Amino acid sequence: MKPLMLQGHERAITQIKYNREGDLLFSAAKDAKPNVWWSLNGERLGTFNGHGGVVWCLDVDWQTINLITGGGDSSCRLWDLETGKNIATIKTNSSVRTCNFSYSAYQAAYTTDKAMRHPCEVFIIDTRTVDDSISSQSPILKWEITDSKVTSMVWGTLDETIITGHEAGDLIQWDLRTGKKIHSVKEHNHQINDMQLSRDGTMFITASKDQTAKLFDTSSLELLKEYKTERPVNSAALSPILDHVVLGGGQDAMEVTTTSTRQGKFDARFFHLVFEEEFGRVKGHFGPINSLAFHPDGKSYASGGEDGYVRVQSFDQSYFDYTFDYNRD
Amino acid sequence: MPVADDIQSSWADEVEIDQGALPPPSEVVENGLKIVTEYKYDNDNKKVKIVRTYKIEKRVVSKSIAKRKTWSKFGDSANDKPGPNPATTNVSEDVYMQFITSKEESQRTDDGELDGLKPQSSSVIYKCRTCQGEHWTLSCPFKNSEIVMAKANEAAKAAEVKTTTTNKYIAPNLREGAARNLPREPPGPRRDDTTAIRISNLSNFAVEADLDDLVRGFGPVQKLYLAKEKSTGQCKGFAYVHFKFRADAAKAIQTLNGYGYDHLILNVEWSKPPQNN
Repeated sequence: MKPLMLQGHERAITQIKYNREGDLLFSAAKDAKPNVWWSLNGERLGTFNGHGGVVWCLDVDWQTINLITGGGDSSCRLWDLETGKNIATIKTNSSVRTCNFSYSAYQAAYTTDKAMRHPCEVFIIDTRTVDDSISSQSPILKWEITDSKVTSMVWGTLDETIITGHEAGDLIQWDLRTGKKIHSVKEHNHQINDMQLSRDGTMFITASKDQTAKLFDTSSLELLKEYKTERPVNSAALSPILDHVVLGGGQDAMEVTTTSTRQGKFDARFFHLVFEEEFGRVKGHFGPINSLAFHPDGKSYASGGEDGYVRVQSFDQSYFDYTFDYNRD
Repeated sequence: MPVADDIQSSWADEVEIDQGALPPPSEVVENGLKIVTEYKYDNDNKKVKIVRTYKIEKRVVSKSIAKRKTWSKFGDSANDKPGPNPATTNVSEDVYMQFITSKEESQRTDDGELDGLKPQSSSVIYKCRTCQGEHWTLSCPFKNSEIVMAKANEAAKAAEVKTTTTNKYIAPNLREGAARNLPREPPGPRRDDTTAIRISNLSNFAVEADLDDLVRGFGPVQKLYLAKEKSTGQCKGFAYVHFKFRADAAKAIQTLNGYGYDHLILNVEWSKPPQNN
């Protein structure tokens, strides 16, 4: 299929996400304006103007009413999706690296970087009523991270825990009633760039700079599977309908200019979830892929790259006809 | 077009004026297709007509999605017309998933591009012509042993068969007992010619692409050389092909020798090492 190429950003894409029903696709980039698109035809619904710098992260609630974004301008913002208006702005001490709504969207979590003599911190805020009062309200819970900073985060099941991925490769599960650690594992030995939950939330996949992606159990943080590549993995996503995993990455942005596109290995790579073996590749970007997302119906996926483009690729029939040959010795 | 003045302008000016005005863009909707036609100037200041055809589809969606469809655009897209804006949304070229069946293959695709540049094996670039081992023929441990004898016998037999089956003229250097059948010492470190074949009696109009088409089916090719006349660039009638594997080269010789190509009968044989003068 011909992919849709969305050129709404002037700089590298940092994160892309579909809403729950998959009709909207959100993209954030290192320019100040996150975009929202109709995923079906690639038409741009609007831009969220207000940030003053890099937007590192975004998340949309399950009803597609509000959007939360966090950026390098030391602010976390909440937006009304219908009008694109900035409802609330939470000022932070350093840039916001990750932000996520809980499943119910009654709460949201965001983390800040360790910078400018401020520690890395995790904040849990109340988002039951989203209005201007959030800007001044104090967080329900906040705690400091003393060791390596948080680089990715997901909510655990039933909104009772959050799981953070750290710069040194640790994964920590936190109890939200106390703000204490429940589990902590270190399966990666480099920065965890991205974490994404499976459709039912029982598993999540991490993408790490140590050139692997790993599948973990959400409640026990038990390592289930490992997908190896020969380049840093920036993002990984789980197919909602098939036992497939897609990995995106490439060498560091700073090294890109010194090598050819072919060598850069910028294609999206598809692995079998269970057998941990690669079965397909899709080319397209001419820079590393920074973020990947499967459409909730599993029939297409989107990738955002360092080249500033978002590509929405629908799968051909051959993808669905493909069966992984596991009788081989 | 501007209204004509009283003064008759010259035809050269008229062209100028003509260029200044672009026909208005049009939008036609017919049998489920929307056709948008626009005109603009490209980088060379030439008029370009752009025709975009959109397919209009109707889909049944859930209530919540349908409600969102009524939202109006905002932010930088506030002034966009309904439908995708070509400035931000484009359809790119077809990209297909490449399926990988096994691990070995995935590794092969990884460095496939550089394969041709690498020496054939990591350090050893010579091969014994007697036993195919990684040493010089001269220092072959099987020298004067059964293998060599068997080979020589084979060669003799083959030559016999040739003489008995063909009544055609055979050039002196191709005749039985000619120098090429005798084992010759390698003249020194040079490129591995064991996988090279020589194709002669090519047509004068043959080009590299033809040659490539001809031999590609037999296996990976390391190098193609088509002898050409320096002044005219025309083919001199012969070419050398270096395969990656000897087996492929043998297959090529078997199939292509005597093959009719471009109204000529090809002559294909193993490439001979350069003569020692």
